[in-house]
Amino acid sequence: MTQASPAPAAGAQLTTTKTTVEFRAALVAMAIVALIPLGVSNPYWLGVLIVSMYFAILAGGWNLLAGYTGQFSLAPATFAMIGAYTTGLLGTYYNVPPLLGIAAAIVVSGLVGLVLGRAVLRLVGPYLALTTLSFAEIMRLVASNSIDITRGDLGLGVAGLPIGRLAWYYLFLAVLVVLLILFYLLLRSKAGLFLQAIRDDEVAARRAGVDVVFWKTAAFTLSAAASGLAGALYAHFAELVTPELGLIAQTGLILSMAVIGGMGTLAGPLVAAFLVYVLSEWLRDVGGYQLVVFAALVVIFARFFREGLWGLAKAAVRRWRQA
Amino acid sequence: MSAIDVDLAVNGFITGLFYALMAVGLSLIFGILKIVNFAHGEFYMVGAYAYTLVALALGVPVWVALPFAFLVGAALGWATERTLMRPLYAGYTSWGLMRDEYAVIVTFGLSLFLINLVDKVIGPYAYRGPPLVETSRVVLGPVLISGHRLLAAGIAIAVILATAALIKWSFWGQQIRAVSQNRLGASLAGIDTAKASAIVFMLSGGLAAFAGALLSPVINASPDVGIFPAVKSYIIVVLGGMGSVPGAIVASLLLGVIESFGAVYLSYQYRDAFGLILLMLFLLFRPQGLFGEKGREV
Repeated sequence: MTQASPAPAAGAQLTTTKTTVEFRAALVAMAIVALIPLGVSNPYWLGVLIVSMYFAILAGGWNLLAGYTGQFSLAPATFAMIGAYTTGLLGTYYNVPPLLGIAAAIVVSGLVGLVLGRAVLRLVGPYLALTTLSFAEIMRLVASNSIDITRGDLGLGVAGLPIGRLAWYYLFLAVLVVLLILFYLLLRSKAGLFLQAIRDDEVAARRAGVDVVFWKTAAFTLSAAASGLAGALYAHFAELVTPELGLIAQTGLILSMAVIGGMGTLAGPLVAAFLVYVLSEWLRDVGGYQLVVFAALVVIFARFFREGLWGLAKAAVRRWRQA
Repeated sequence: MSAIDVDLAVNGFITGLFYALMAVGLSLIFGILKIVNFAHGEFYMVGAYAYTLVALALGVPVWVALPFAFLVGAALGWATERTLMRPLYAGYTSWGLMRDEYAVIVTFGLSLFLINLVDKVIGPYAYRGPPLVETSRVVLGPVLISGHRLLAAGIAIAVILATAALIKWSFWGQQIRAVSQNRLGASLAGIDTAKASAIVFMLSGGLAAFAGALLSPVINASPDVGIFPAVKSYIIVVLGGMGSVPGAIVASLLLGVIESFGAVYLSYQYRDAFGLILLMLFLLFRPQGLFGEKGREV
């Protein structure tokens, strides 16, 4: 901010501060994640953390759409699948190199997000959830039934990158941090206020001059592009794409991360993605109750702790300061 | 119309009857709370298990197991309404924000919870429920049908008609319709809106569980068995107009027949996609459905 810029209104100041605190907390969390490989060299757990980062990107992207703009899409996993198939099919049929394929994945999933976002502009709540859910199922059916092109449920082999697991780890982390900074800059700007105004009261936002059509579509496009990027990266990491990437259960996992972490906060969903996924891998060894536990946690958090872990942490800090 | 067309039409119609058992409850819930219950398929799944397990493990006669499944579903519906749905209307002022999102999250979470709980406690294996009658083939002109399916279709017709009559003429049904039309107005007229919501959830859960029990000899109870009929009932409530009970019944029968013909004449692989495409087209271009009132807020 330069000296010449006018002083922001009180409301803007409040939101900026809140977002900045969350951004700093998220950066601290990412710094801790960056240090983990110093102590953990087990490739299995590094792999678990890489998949956690995949989910963190998805949860973050979905949070921008659902948590900040109030557009409750049930298709985040589908955009990851679209991104993964974009780079996978381009590589298989046109020998497109992975980096170009990933770039294409961002563009294609962003465009699909733009079209879908544009189409569902007028739908809210249950209607939006049902439309995006059908979109997700149709896309998955297409991927799994176009056997001649995608090899269906067998999955499509994708070229890997000539880098080791540790390099993958830092590649995912770098992408995650870049997205985090982008989201922060977006939310700190006026656009962030526009998005949240649309979430809180769309009619009032339009009345106050917010270009609702543009910003709702923009949030859909950005969120889809971020998911597509995550999916494309994951495709090259796993060296395989299957329609399972777009399963509703995957969306359920993304949703639970955002809800448990705290929807509409920058740090919550990112941190929760790590907690949920690492814990679920650990619980899988203990007895396989991970999905029961997380589903119960989602219901309990949604019912009793609406601000998620971030809200609980904030309350704890406040109490500690008062004491 | 050739013989195979008659067969397809009759079998599609019967499938539609089972869809209707599911869709009517979902539509009632939408009417009274303006939410979509994403755990609806799990009521169906629980009903299939309740029927199959008491009939197989305890040796209870099927004619007792069938109403038992209804009661289990109704109890589950009541518990869901009581613990998770009350905040949607019971004076939690701060809940106005993100109300729809809360409903989606909490029912979606409940659905995942029930599927995985059953998967861990009872196991992922499929159980085949005992049929109501052992007759394997009944020939009605060009139509070939199993005895169980024919009997189940008859029971489904009776239950659907009874439900429709209950909603239309009974005192409770009138209260439910009043709350659906205007919750505040109904409460001012002295109607217990919490009780009306509870009754709707019990009826809806019971009907879905009953459908699961009726179909358990065909579908084989397994933890994720409810997903498929739930998706069908979402399609149906959108087609029929959200909240409209007659619309839900007509749309159920229509979808059953469309799918039956579509699977043979269009594409077997994409048979599940027809309804989903219809759902998207309707939501985008005719959100009030076939029979819904025009001008309903979307």
